[in-house]
Amino acid sequence: MQIQVKCSCGAEKCPEWAIIELQGVVEVQPSFQHSLQNLQIGLLCRPSFQENYTFTVGYHELTGSKVALKKPMVVLKKIKYMDVEQQIDEATSSSSCVELDVVGVIRHKILFKTRPTALISGPQPTVKEKINAAVVKSPLMKVLAQLVREEV
Amino acid sequence: MMEQPHSCCKGAEVLLNLQPTSSVSIQYHPFFGPRDDLVLLELDEKLLSDVLYQRVTLRGQPDEDAVLCTKSKTYSVKFVGTSNSVFLIPPADYSTMHESGGENYKQQVPTASVIKVAPGNMELVEVAPRLDKLKSILSENLYSSDEASTAMGDLYKWDDLINKVQASDDELKAGLQALSAVEIDGYWRIVDEKYMDVILRMLLHNSVLNDWSLDSLVEDKVVSVLESDGFPCKLVYHCLNVYGSRVEEAMDGGVWRLDARRVCVHFARGILREGKRKMESFMEEWLRMIPEEMQPSFDMLEGEVLTEKLGVETWVRALSVSSLPTTPAERFSILFKERAKWEWKDLEPYIRDLNVPGLSSEALLLKYTRRSQPSIDAEPVFSAR
Repeated sequence: MQIQVKCSCGAEKCPEWAIIELQGVVEVQPSFQHSLQNLQIGLLCRPSFQENYTFTVGYHELTGSKVALKKPMVVLKKIKYMDVEQQIDEATSSSSCVELDVVGVIRHKILFKTRPTALISGPQPTVKEKINAAVVKSPLMKVLAQLVREEV
Repeated sequence: MMEQPHSCCKGAEVLLNLQPTSSVSIQYHPFFGPRDDLVLLELDEKLLSDVLYQRVTLRGQPDEDAVLCTKSKTYSVKFVGTSNSVFLIPPADYSTMHESGGENYKQQVPTASVIKVAPGNMELVEVAPRLDKLKSILSENLYSSDEASTAMGDLYKWDDLINKVQASDDELKAGLQALSAVEIDGYWRIVDEKYMDVILRMLLHNSVLNDWSLDSLVEDKVVSVLESDGFPCKLVYHCLNVYGSRVEEAMDGGVWRLDARRVCVHFARGILREGKRKMESFMEEWLRMIPEEMQPSFDMLEGEVLTEKLGVETWVRALSVSSLPTTPAERFSILFKERAKWEWKDLEPYIRDLNVPGLSSEALLLKYTRRSQPSIDAEPVFSAR
Protein backbone atom coordinates (compact mmCIF):
# COMPACT_ATOMS: atom_id res chain seq x y z
CA MET A 1 0.00 0.00 0.00
CA GLN A 2 0.97 3.58 -0.35
CA ILE A 3 0.50 6.33 2.19
CA GLN A 4 0.53 9.85 0.89
CA VAL A 5 2.31 12.39 3.06
CA LYS A 6 0.35 15.64 2.93
CA CYS A 7 0.70 19.05 4.43
CA SER A 8 -2.75 20.49 4.78
CA CYS A 9 -1.54 23.70 6.44
CA GLY A 10 0.32 24.61 3.25
CA ALA A 11 4.07 24.19 2.98
CA GLU A 12 5.10 27.78 3.71
CA LYS A 13 2.65 28.14 6.53
CA CYS A 14 3.48 24.91 8.31
CA PRO A 15 3.87 26.13 11.90
CA GLU A 16 6.86 25.62 14.11
CA TRP A 17 6.41 23.36 17.12
CA ALA A 18 8.71 23.27 20.10
CA ILE A 19 10.32 20.63 22.29
CA ILE A 20 11.35 20.76 25.91
CA GLU A 21 13.68 17.85 26.60
CA LEU A 22 14.87 16.76 30.00
CA GLN A 23 16.41 13.70 31.57
CA GLY A 24 14.34 11.24 33.47
CA VAL A 25 10.63 11.39 33.97
CA VAL A 26 8.20 13.91 35.35
CA GLU A 27 5.93 12.06 37.69
CA VAL A 28 2.49 13.33 38.46
CA GLN A 29 1.18 12.98 41.95
CA PRO A 30 -1.28 10.10 42.08
CA SER A 31 -4.24 12.28 42.94
CA PHE A 32 -3.83 14.15 39.63
CA GLN A 33 -3.18 11.10 37.42
CA HIS A 34 -6.60 11.27 35.88
CA SER A 35 -7.01 14.98 35.40
CA LEU A 36 -3.90 16.10 33.59
CA GLN A 37 -5.63 18.50 31.23
CA ASN A 38 -4.43 22.06 31.79
CA LEU A 39 -2.45 20.93 34.80
CA GLN A 40 0.75 22.90 35.28
CA ILE A 41 4.03 21.04 34.99
CA GLY A 42 6.35 23.89 35.88
CA LEU A 43 7.58 27.33 35.06
CA LEU A 44 10.12 28.03 32.37
CA CYS A 45 12.17 31.22 32.74
CA ARG A 46 14.70 33.00 30.60
CA PRO A 47 16.64 34.90 33.23
CA SER A 48 18.96 36.87 30.91
CA PHE A 49 19.66 37.87 27.34
CA GLN A 50 21.47 34.61 26.75
CA GLU A 51 19.62 31.59 25.46
CA ASN A 52 19.78 30.00 28.90
CA TYR A 53 16.67 28.79 30.63
CA THR A 54 15.55 27.46 33.96
CA PHE A 55 12.69 25.07 34.39
CA THR A 56 11.17 24.82 37.84
CA VAL A 57 9.15 21.71 38.48
CA GLY A 58 7.85 21.34 41.98
CA TYR A 59 10.80 21.60 44.32
CA HIS A 60 13.33 21.05 41.58
CA GLU A 61 15.07 23.41 39.23
CA LEU A 62 16.71 22.48 35.95
CA THR A 63 19.06 24.66 33.95
CA GLY A 64 19.43 24.31 30.23
CA SER A 65 19.63 26.14 26.95
CA LYS A 66 17.91 26.54 23.63
CA VAL A 67 19.63 24.53 20.90
CA ALA A 68 19.04 24.26 17.18
CA LEU A 69 18.39 20.69 16.06
CA LYS A 70 21.13 19.24 13.87
CA LYS A 71 18.41 18.11 11.49
CA PRO A 72 14.87 19.43 11.42
CA MET A 73 11.97 17.24 12.45
CA VAL A 74 8.43 17.22 11.17
CA VAL A 75 5.38 16.34 13.22
CA LEU A 76 3.25 13.83 11.34
CA LYS A 77 -0.37 13.24 12.25
CA LYS A 78 -1.95 9.95 11.24
CA ILE A 79 -5.40 10.37 9.81
CA LYS A 80 -7.52 7.30 9.32
CA TYR A 81 -10.55 7.31 7.13
CA MET A 82 -12.72 4.59 5.73
CA ASP A 83 -12.46 4.02 2.03
CA VAL A 84 -15.84 4.52 0.44
CA GLU A 85 -15.06 2.10 -2.38
CA GLN A 86 -13.91 -0.47 0.09
CA GLN A 87 -16.67 -2.95 -0.53
CA ILE A 88 -15.91 -2.98 -4.22
CA ASP A 89 -12.20 -3.29 -3.84
CA GLU A 90 -11.86 -6.70 -2.28
CA ALA A 91 -8.09 -6.62 -2.10
CA THR A 92 -8.03 -3.95 0.57
CA SER A 93 -11.33 -4.71 2.21
CA SER A 94 -9.88 -5.27 5.66
CA SER A 95 -7.92 -2.06 5.99
CA SER A 96 -8.99 1.49 6.33
CA CYS A 97 -6.90 4.10 4.57
CA VAL A 98 -4.31 6.14 6.35
CA GLU A 99 -2.89 9.49 5.47
CA LEU A 100 -0.08 11.34 7.11
CA ASP A 101 -0.44 15.06 7.52
CA VAL A 102 2.56 17.24 8.31
CA VAL A 103 1.21 19.48 11.06
CA GLY A 104 4.42 21.06 12.24
CA VAL A 105 8.15 21.56 11.83
CA ILE A 106 10.59 21.51 14.72
CA ARG A 107 13.91 23.30 14.48
CA HIS A 108 14.73 24.10 18.11
CA LYS A 109 14.48 22.48 21.47
CA ILE A 110 15.05 23.70 24.96
CA LEU A 111 17.34 21.09 26.40
CA PHE A 112 17.94 20.44 30.08
CA LYS A 113 20.77 17.99 30.21
CA THR A 114 21.80 18.30 33.82
CA ARG A 115 20.40 16.80 36.97
CA PRO A 116 17.90 18.99 38.77
CA THR A 117 18.94 20.90 41.84
CA ALA A 118 16.61 20.80 44.80
CA LEU A 119 15.04 24.04 45.92
CA ILE A 120 15.00 23.36 49.62
CA SER A 121 15.44 25.71 52.51
CA GLY A 122 13.46 26.79 55.51
CA PRO A 123 10.53 28.83 54.29
CA GLN A 124 9.07 27.88 50.94
CA PRO A 125 11.09 29.43 48.13
CA THR A 126 9.58 32.25 46.17
CA VAL A 127 9.56 30.16 43.01
CA LYS A 128 7.01 27.88 44.49
CA GLU A 129 4.81 30.78 45.38
CA LYS A 130 4.99 32.10 41.89
CA ILE A 131 3.73 28.80 40.61
CA ASN A 132 0.87 28.96 43.02
CA ALA A 133 0.04 32.45 42.00
CA ALA A 134 0.07 31.66 38.33
CA VAL A 135 -2.10 28.65 38.26
CA VAL A 136 -5.10 27.58 40.18
CA LYS A 137 -4.38 23.90 40.13
CA SER A 138 -0.83 23.60 41.34
CA PRO A 139 0.11 20.05 42.04
CA LEU A 140 3.40 19.00 43.46
CA MET A 141 5.52 17.30 40.91
CA LYS A 142 8.84 15.77 41.21
CA VAL A 143 11.48 15.10 38.69
CA LEU A 144 12.98 11.71 39.02
CA ALA A 145 16.42 12.14 37.68
CA GLN A 146 17.10 8.45 37.71
CA LEU A 147 19.96 8.61 35.38
CA VAL A 148 22.61 11.02 34.38
CA ARG A 149 23.32 10.29 30.78
CA GLU A 150 26.30 11.73 29.00
CA GLU A 151 24.32 12.18 25.86
CA VAL A 152 23.45 15.68 24.78
CA MET B 1 15.05 38.09 18.36
CA MET B 2 13.86 41.10 20.27
CA GLU B 3 10.41 41.54 18.83
CA GLN B 4 7.59 42.24 21.16
CA PRO B 5 5.54 39.19 21.91
CA HIS B 6 2.42 40.73 20.31
CA SER B 7 -0.69 38.85 21.10
CA CYS B 8 0.96 35.46 21.12
CA CYS B 9 1.14 34.45 24.66
CA LYS B 10 0.45 30.77 24.23
CA GLY B 11 1.91 27.69 22.66
CA ALA B 12 5.17 26.97 20.90
CA GLU B 13 5.40 30.57 19.66
CA VAL B 14 5.80 32.01 23.12
CA LEU B 15 8.32 29.38 24.07
CA LEU B 16 10.46 29.93 20.98
CA ASN B 17 10.30 33.72 21.30
CA LEU B 18 10.57 34.01 25.04
CA GLN B 19 11.93 37.43 25.93
CA PRO B 20 14.76 37.86 28.44
CA THR B 21 13.64 38.08 32.05
CA SER B 22 10.26 36.62 31.31
CA SER B 23 8.75 33.25 31.94
CA VAL B 24 6.15 30.87 30.62
CA SER B 25 4.03 28.34 32.42
CA ILE B 26 4.36 24.84 30.99
CA GLN B 27 1.23 22.75 31.37
CA TYR B 28 -0.53 19.71 30.00
CA HIS B 29 -2.56 20.35 26.87
CA PRO B 30 -6.32 19.81 26.95
CA PHE B 31 -5.68 17.01 24.42
CA PHE B 32 -2.66 15.57 26.21
CA GLY B 33 -2.33 11.80 26.05
CA PRO B 34 -0.27 9.00 24.54
CA ARG B 35 -1.23 10.48 21.14
CA ASP B 36 -0.05 7.60 18.97
CA ASP B 37 -1.39 9.60 16.05
CA LEU B 38 1.48 12.08 16.37
CA VAL B 39 4.86 10.93 15.11
CA LEU B 40 8.15 12.81 14.91
CA LEU B 41 10.23 12.32 11.78
CA GLU B 42 13.78 13.60 11.60
CA LEU B 43 15.04 14.37 8.13
CA ASP B 44 17.75 16.14 6.20
CA GLU B 45 17.16 19.79 5.48
CA LYS B 46 17.22 19.00 1.75
CA LEU B 47 14.30 16.59 2.14
CA LEU B 48 12.18 19.05 4.09
CA SER B 49 10.75 20.82 1.07
CA ASP B 50 9.91 17.49 -0.59
CA VAL B 51 7.93 16.58 2.50
CA LEU B 52 6.22 19.95 2.89
CA TYR B 53 5.30 20.13 -0.78
CA GLN B 54 3.72 16.67 -0.66
CA ARG B 55 6.27 14.95 -2.87
CA VAL B 56 6.90 11.94 -0.64
CA THR B 57 4.99 8.76 0.09
CA LEU B 58 5.39 5.80 2.41
CA ARG B 59 5.34 2.46 0.62
CA GLY B 60 5.16 -1.14 1.73
CA GLN B 61 2.89 -4.00 2.63
CA PRO B 62 1.71 -4.34 6.23
CA ASP B 63 4.29 -7.11 6.79
CA GLU B 64 7.18 -5.08 5.41
CA ASP B 65 9.21 -2.32 7.02
CA ALA B 66 7.95 0.94 5.61
CA VAL B 67 10.10 2.96 3.26
CA LEU B 68 9.74 6.61 2.41
CA CYS B 69 10.06 7.48 -1.26
CA THR B 70 10.80 10.79 -2.91
CA LYS B 71 10.57 11.01 -6.68
CA SER B 72 14.02 9.51 -7.11
CA LYS B 73 15.15 7.93 -3.84
CA THR B 74 14.13 5.36 -1.27
CA TYR B 75 14.72 5.66 2.47
CA SER B 76 14.12 3.09 5.17
CA VAL B 77 12.28 4.44 8.21
CA LYS B 78 13.69 3.53 11.61
CA PHE B 79 12.44 4.31 15.08
CA VAL B 80 15.01 5.69 17.49
CA GLY B 81 13.92 5.66 21.10
CA THR B 82 15.03 7.97 23.87
CA SER B 83 14.95 7.67 27.64
CA ASN B 84 14.75 11.43 28.02
CA SER B 85 11.40 13.11 28.40
CA VAL B 86 10.63 14.90 25.16
CA PHE B 87 7.73 17.28 25.70
CA LEU B 88 6.07 18.11 22.42
CA ILE B 89 4.50 21.56 22.29
CA PRO B 90 2.19 22.61 19.46
CA PRO B 91 1.46 26.20 18.47
CA ALA B 92 -1.37 27.95 20.27
CA ASP B 93 -3.98 27.38 17.59
CA TYR B 94 -3.36 23.65 17.36
CA SER B 95 -6.65 21.76 17.26
CA THR B 96 -8.19 25.24 17.49
CA MET B 97 -10.83 24.03 19.90
CA HIS B 98 -10.55 26.48 22.74
CA GLU B 99 -13.14 24.66 24.67
CA SER B 100 -11.13 24.12 27.77
CA GLY B 101 -12.32 26.06 30.76
CA GLY B 102 -10.25 28.90 32.08
CA GLU B 103 -9.71 30.43 28.67
CA ASN B 104 -11.76 33.42 29.55
CA TYR B 105 -9.74 34.97 32.25
CA LYS B 106 -6.74 37.02 31.35
CA GLN B 107 -3.66 35.05 32.28
CA GLN B 108 -0.84 36.85 33.95
CA VAL B 109 1.77 34.42 32.73
CA PRO B 110 1.86 33.11 29.19
CA THR B 111 1.43 29.37 28.83
CA ALA B 112 2.65 26.63 26.55
CA SER B 113 0.96 23.24 26.55
CA VAL B 114 2.51 19.82 26.18
CA ILE B 115 0.42 17.54 23.99
CA LYS B 116 2.58 14.43 24.15
CA VAL B 117 5.71 12.99 25.66
CA ALA B 118 7.47 11.56 22.62
CA PRO B 119 9.17 8.22 23.23
CA GLY B 120 11.54 8.88 20.33
CA ASN B 121 11.45 9.77 16.68
CA MET B 122 11.63 8.20 13.24
CA GLU B 123 14.82 8.53 11.22
CA LEU B 124 15.52 8.06 7.52
CA VAL B 125 18.37 6.04 6.03
CA GLU B 126 18.83 6.03 2.27
CA VAL B 127 18.59 2.50 0.90
CA ALA B 128 18.64 0.76 -2.45
CA PRO B 129 15.17 0.17 -3.91
CA ARG B 130 13.72 -3.26 -3.21
CA LEU B 131 13.28 -4.34 -6.79
CA ASP B 132 13.66 -8.10 -6.49
CA LYS B 133 9.99 -8.30 -5.72
CA LEU B 134 9.19 -6.47 -8.96
CA LYS B 135 10.93 -9.19 -10.92
CA SER B 136 9.27 -11.98 -9.00
CA ILE B 137 5.71 -10.68 -9.30
CA LEU B 138 6.06 -9.85 -12.99
CA SER B 139 7.67 -13.22 -13.70
CA GLU B 140 4.66 -15.11 -12.36
CA ASN B 141 2.72 -14.31 -15.47
CA LEU B 142 4.84 -13.81 -18.57
CA TYR B 143 3.37 -12.47 -21.75
CA SER B 144 3.66 -15.21 -24.35
CA SER B 145 2.62 -15.94 -27.92
CA ASP B 146 -0.56 -17.72 -26.86
CA GLU B 147 -1.48 -14.86 -24.54
CA ALA B 148 -5.14 -14.92 -25.47
CA SER B 149 -5.56 -18.56 -24.52
CA THR B 150 -3.67 -18.54 -21.24
CA ALA B 151 -5.62 -18.17 -18.04
CA MET B 152 -5.21 -14.69 -16.65
CA GLY B 153 -3.24 -14.60 -13.43
CA ASP B 154 -2.38 -11.52 -11.45
CA LEU B 155 -1.60 -8.54 -13.62
CA TYR B 156 -0.23 -5.25 -12.42
CA LYS B 157 -0.87 -1.69 -13.43
CA TRP B 158 1.54 1.10 -12.48
CA ASP B 159 -0.57 1.96 -9.43
CA ASP B 160 -0.53 -1.67 -8.32
CA LEU B 161 3.25 -1.72 -8.64
CA ILE B 162 3.83 1.38 -6.51
CA ASN B 163 1.59 -0.17 -3.89
CA LYS B 164 3.55 -3.41 -3.90
CA VAL B 165 7.14 -2.51 -4.63
CA GLN B 166 9.27 -0.47 -2.26
CA ALA B 167 10.96 1.87 -4.69
CA SER B 168 10.66 5.49 -5.78
CA ASP B 169 8.91 6.29 -9.05
CA ASP B 170 12.21 6.86 -10.88
CA GLU B 171 13.75 3.69 -9.47
CA LEU B 172 10.66 1.69 -10.39
CA LYS B 173 10.78 3.00 -13.95
CA ALA B 174 14.47 2.09 -14.19
CA GLY B 175 13.69 -1.33 -12.73
CA LEU B 176 10.97 -1.96 -15.31
CA GLN B 177 13.35 -0.94 -18.06
CA ALA B 178 16.11 -3.21 -16.72
CA LEU B 179 13.65 -6.10 -16.79
CA SER B 180 12.62 -5.18 -20.35
CA ALA B 181 9.06 -4.92 -19.12
CA VAL B 182 6.44 -3.35 -21.36
CA GLU B 183 3.06 -1.81 -20.67
CA ILE B 184 0.42 -3.75 -22.62
CA ASP B 185 -3.22 -2.74 -22.26
CA GLY B 186 -2.34 -0.83 -19.11
CA TYR B 187 -0.56 -3.77 -17.46
CA TRP B 188 3.20 -4.05 -16.98
CA ARG B 189 4.43 -7.36 -18.38
CA ILE B 190 7.64 -9.22 -19.01
CA VAL B 191 7.50 -10.89 -22.40
CA ASP B 192 8.50 -14.55 -22.48
CA GLU B 193 12.04 -14.86 -23.89
CA LYS B 194 10.93 -17.54 -26.31
CA TYR B 195 8.34 -15.19 -27.75
CA MET B 196 10.92 -12.39 -27.97
CA ASP B 197 13.16 -14.86 -29.78
CA VAL B 198 10.46 -15.55 -32.35
CA ILE B 199 9.87 -11.84 -32.98
CA LEU B 200 13.57 -11.03 -33.22
CA ARG B 201 14.23 -13.88 -35.63
CA MET B 202 11.31 -12.78 -37.77
CA LEU B 203 12.65 -9.23 -37.76
CA LEU B 204 16.11 -10.43 -38.85
CA HIS B 205 14.58 -12.74 -41.42
CA ASN B 206 12.58 -9.89 -42.89
CA SER B 207 15.64 -7.64 -42.95
CA VAL B 208 17.37 -10.19 -45.21
CA LEU B 209 14.30 -10.64 -47.42
CA ASN B 210 13.70 -6.92 -47.80
CA ASP B 211 17.33 -5.89 -47.79
CA TRP B 212 16.98 -3.68 -44.71
CA SER B 213 20.09 -2.42 -42.94
CA LEU B 214 20.12 -3.31 -39.24
CA ASP B 215 21.67 0.11 -38.61
CA SER B 216 18.75 1.97 -40.13
CA LEU B 217 15.49 0.12 -39.82
CA VAL B 218 12.57 2.24 -40.92
CA GLU B 219 9.99 1.96 -38.19
CA ASP B 220 6.92 2.08 -40.41
CA LYS B 221 8.15 -0.66 -42.71
CA VAL B 222 9.27 -2.93 -39.87
CA VAL B 223 6.02 -2.52 -38.00
CA SER B 224 3.76 -3.06 -41.00
CA VAL B 225 5.68 -6.13 -42.23
CA LEU B 226 5.78 -7.76 -38.80
CA GLU B 227 2.14 -6.93 -38.14
CA SER B 228 1.25 -8.69 -41.37
CA ASP B 229 3.22 -11.66 -40.04
CA GLY B 230 0.81 -11.70 -37.11
CA PHE B 231 2.70 -9.89 -34.35
CA PRO B 232 0.94 -7.22 -32.28
CA CYS B 233 2.17 -3.73 -33.02
CA LYS B 234 3.03 -3.15 -29.35
CA LEU B 235 5.29 -6.20 -29.32
CA VAL B 236 7.10 -5.13 -32.47
CA TYR B 237 7.92 -1.79 -30.85
CA HIS B 238 8.96 -3.63 -27.73
CA CYS B 239 11.33 -5.81 -29.77
CA LEU B 240 12.89 -2.70 -31.32
CA ASN B 241 13.26 -1.17 -27.87
CA VAL B 242 14.82 -4.23 -26.29
CA TYR B 243 17.30 -5.03 -29.06
CA GLY B 244 17.85 -1.60 -30.50
CA SER B 245 17.40 2.10 -30.09
CA ARG B 246 15.82 4.87 -32.04
CA VAL B 247 18.51 6.83 -33.84
CA GLU B 248 16.42 9.29 -35.75
CA GLU B 249 13.11 10.98 -35.26
CA ALA B 250 11.28 11.62 -38.47
CA MET B 251 7.87 12.97 -39.32
CA ASP B 252 6.75 9.62 -40.66
CA GLY B 253 8.08 7.55 -37.72
CA GLY B 254 11.60 6.93 -36.58
CA VAL B 255 14.64 5.01 -37.70
CA TRP B 256 16.09 2.30 -35.47
CA ARG B 257 19.48 0.67 -35.10
CA LEU B 258 19.81 -2.79 -33.63
CA ASP B 259 22.39 -3.07 -30.86
CA ALA B 260 24.94 -5.76 -31.71
CA ARG B 261 25.69 -6.57 -28.10
CA ARG B 262 22.07 -7.06 -27.11
CA VAL B 263 21.34 -9.23 -30.14
CA CYS B 264 24.48 -11.33 -29.63
CA VAL B 265 23.73 -11.78 -25.92
CA HIS B 266 20.21 -12.86 -26.77
CA PHE B 267 21.42 -15.67 -29.01
CA ALA B 268 24.10 -16.78 -26.55
CA ARG B 269 21.48 -17.06 -23.82
CA GLY B 270 19.27 -19.07 -26.14
CA ILE B 271 22.04 -21.60 -26.80
CA LEU B 272 23.03 -21.93 -23.14
CA ARG B 273 19.46 -22.22 -21.86
CA GLU B 274 19.75 -25.96 -22.39
CA GLY B 275 22.89 -26.23 -20.26
CA LYS B 276 26.62 -25.74 -20.49
CA ARG B 277 28.51 -26.27 -23.74
CA LYS B 278 32.05 -26.83 -24.84
CA MET B 279 33.58 -23.56 -25.97
CA GLU B 280 34.15 -24.69 -29.57
CA SER B 281 30.65 -25.95 -30.14
CA PHE B 282 29.15 -22.91 -28.44
CA MET B 283 31.18 -20.50 -30.56
CA GLU B 284 30.34 -22.36 -33.74
CA GLU B 285 26.61 -22.26 -33.13
CA TRP B 286 26.64 -18.71 -31.77
CA LEU B 287 28.54 -17.24 -34.73
CA ARG B 288 26.20 -19.05 -37.12
CA MET B 289 23.11 -17.45 -35.55
CA ILE B 290 24.32 -13.87 -35.51
CA PRO B 291 23.34 -11.69 -38.46
CA GLU B 292 26.14 -11.08 -40.93
CA GLU B 293 26.14 -7.34 -40.39
CA MET B 294 27.16 -7.77 -36.76
CA GLN B 295 30.63 -8.37 -35.40
CA PRO B 296 30.36 -10.62 -32.36
CA SER B 297 33.10 -10.87 -29.79
CA PHE B 298 33.23 -13.02 -26.69
CA ASP B 299 33.73 -9.88 -24.56
CA MET B 300 30.13 -8.96 -25.27
CA LEU B 301 29.08 -11.81 -23.01
CA GLU B 302 30.64 -10.28 -19.90
CA GLY B 303 28.18 -10.63 -17.06
CA GLU B 304 26.17 -13.18 -19.05
CA VAL B 305 28.33 -16.30 -19.28
CA LEU B 306 31.02 -18.00 -17.23
CA THR B 307 33.85 -20.03 -18.67
CA GLU B 308 35.58 -22.80 -16.78
CA LYS B 309 38.36 -25.22 -17.54
CA LEU B 310 37.66 -28.88 -16.96
CA GLY B 311 40.76 -30.82 -17.88
CA VAL B 312 41.84 -29.67 -21.31
CA GLU B 313 38.34 -28.52 -22.28
CA THR B 314 36.94 -25.07 -21.78
CA TRP B 315 33.22 -24.97 -21.04
CA VAL B 316 30.78 -22.09 -21.21
CA ARG B 317 27.62 -21.74 -19.17
CA ALA B 318 25.02 -19.07 -18.64
CA LEU B 319 25.01 -16.87 -15.57
CA SER B 320 23.25 -13.63 -16.24
CA VAL B 321 23.79 -10.77 -13.84
CA SER B 322 20.17 -9.74 -14.41
CA SER B 323 19.00 -13.04 -12.93
CA LEU B 324 20.80 -12.41 -9.62
CA PRO B 325 19.35 -10.77 -6.49
CA THR B 326 20.03 -7.07 -6.04
CA THR B 327 20.85 -7.16 -2.35
CA PRO B 328 24.59 -7.59 -1.77
CA ALA B 329 24.38 -10.37 0.83
CA GLU B 330 22.19 -12.57 -1.37
CA ARG B 331 24.16 -11.69 -4.49
CA PHE B 332 27.52 -12.71 -2.99
CA SER B 333 26.03 -15.82 -1.45
CA ILE B 334 24.82 -17.03 -4.85
CA LEU B 335 28.04 -16.05 -6.59
CA PHE B 336 30.13 -18.07 -4.15
CA LYS B 337 27.82 -21.04 -4.56
CA GLU B 338 28.39 -20.84 -8.29
CA ARG B 339 32.10 -20.66 -7.87
CA ALA B 340 34.17 -20.72 -4.68
CA LYS B 341 36.98 -18.51 -5.97
CA TRP B 342 36.73 -15.59 -8.30
CA GLU B 343 39.31 -13.55 -10.09
CA TRP B 344 38.57 -9.84 -10.21
CA LYS B 345 37.98 -9.70 -13.97
CA ASP B 346 35.33 -12.42 -13.70
CA LEU B 347 33.73 -11.08 -10.55
CA GLU B 348 33.52 -7.42 -11.50
CA PRO B 349 30.76 -7.76 -14.15
CA TYR B 350 28.60 -9.51 -11.56
CA ILE B 351 28.85 -6.88 -8.85
CA ARG B 352 29.29 -3.55 -10.60
CA ASP B 353 25.55 -2.89 -10.66
CA LEU B 354 25.19 -3.35 -6.89
CA ASN B 355 24.03 -0.10 -5.45
CA VAL B 356 24.23 0.42 -1.73
CA PRO B 357 23.99 4.05 -0.66
CA GLY B 358 27.02 4.97 1.39
CA LEU B 359 29.02 1.84 0.53
CA SER B 360 31.68 1.92 -2.18
CA SER B 361 32.48 -1.20 -4.19
CA GLU B 362 35.71 -1.55 -2.19
CA ALA B 363 33.72 -1.50 1.02
CA LEU B 364 31.35 -4.12 -0.40
CA LEU B 365 34.28 -6.40 -1.25
CA LEU B 366 35.72 -5.95 2.23
CA LYS B 367 32.39 -6.76 3.79
CA TYR B 368 31.41 -9.81 1.76
CA THR B 369 34.63 -11.35 0.43
CA ARG B 370 38.01 -12.57 1.53
CA ARG B 371 40.84 -11.46 -0.72
CA SER B 372 43.88 -13.65 -1.09
CA GLN B 373 46.92 -13.46 -3.25
CA PRO B 374 48.83 -16.73 -3.72
CA SER B 375 52.02 -14.87 -4.61
CA ILE B 376 53.02 -11.25 -4.97
CA ASP B 377 52.72 -11.14 -8.74
CA ALA B 378 49.59 -13.33 -8.91
CA GLU B 379 46.09 -11.98 -9.50
CA PRO B 380 44.13 -11.56 -6.25
CA VAL B 381 41.42 -14.13 -5.69
CA PHE B 382 38.12 -13.48 -3.91
CA SER B 383 36.35 -16.11 -1.82
CA ALA B 384 33.49 -16.16 0.67
CA ARG B 385 34.08 -14.72 4.12
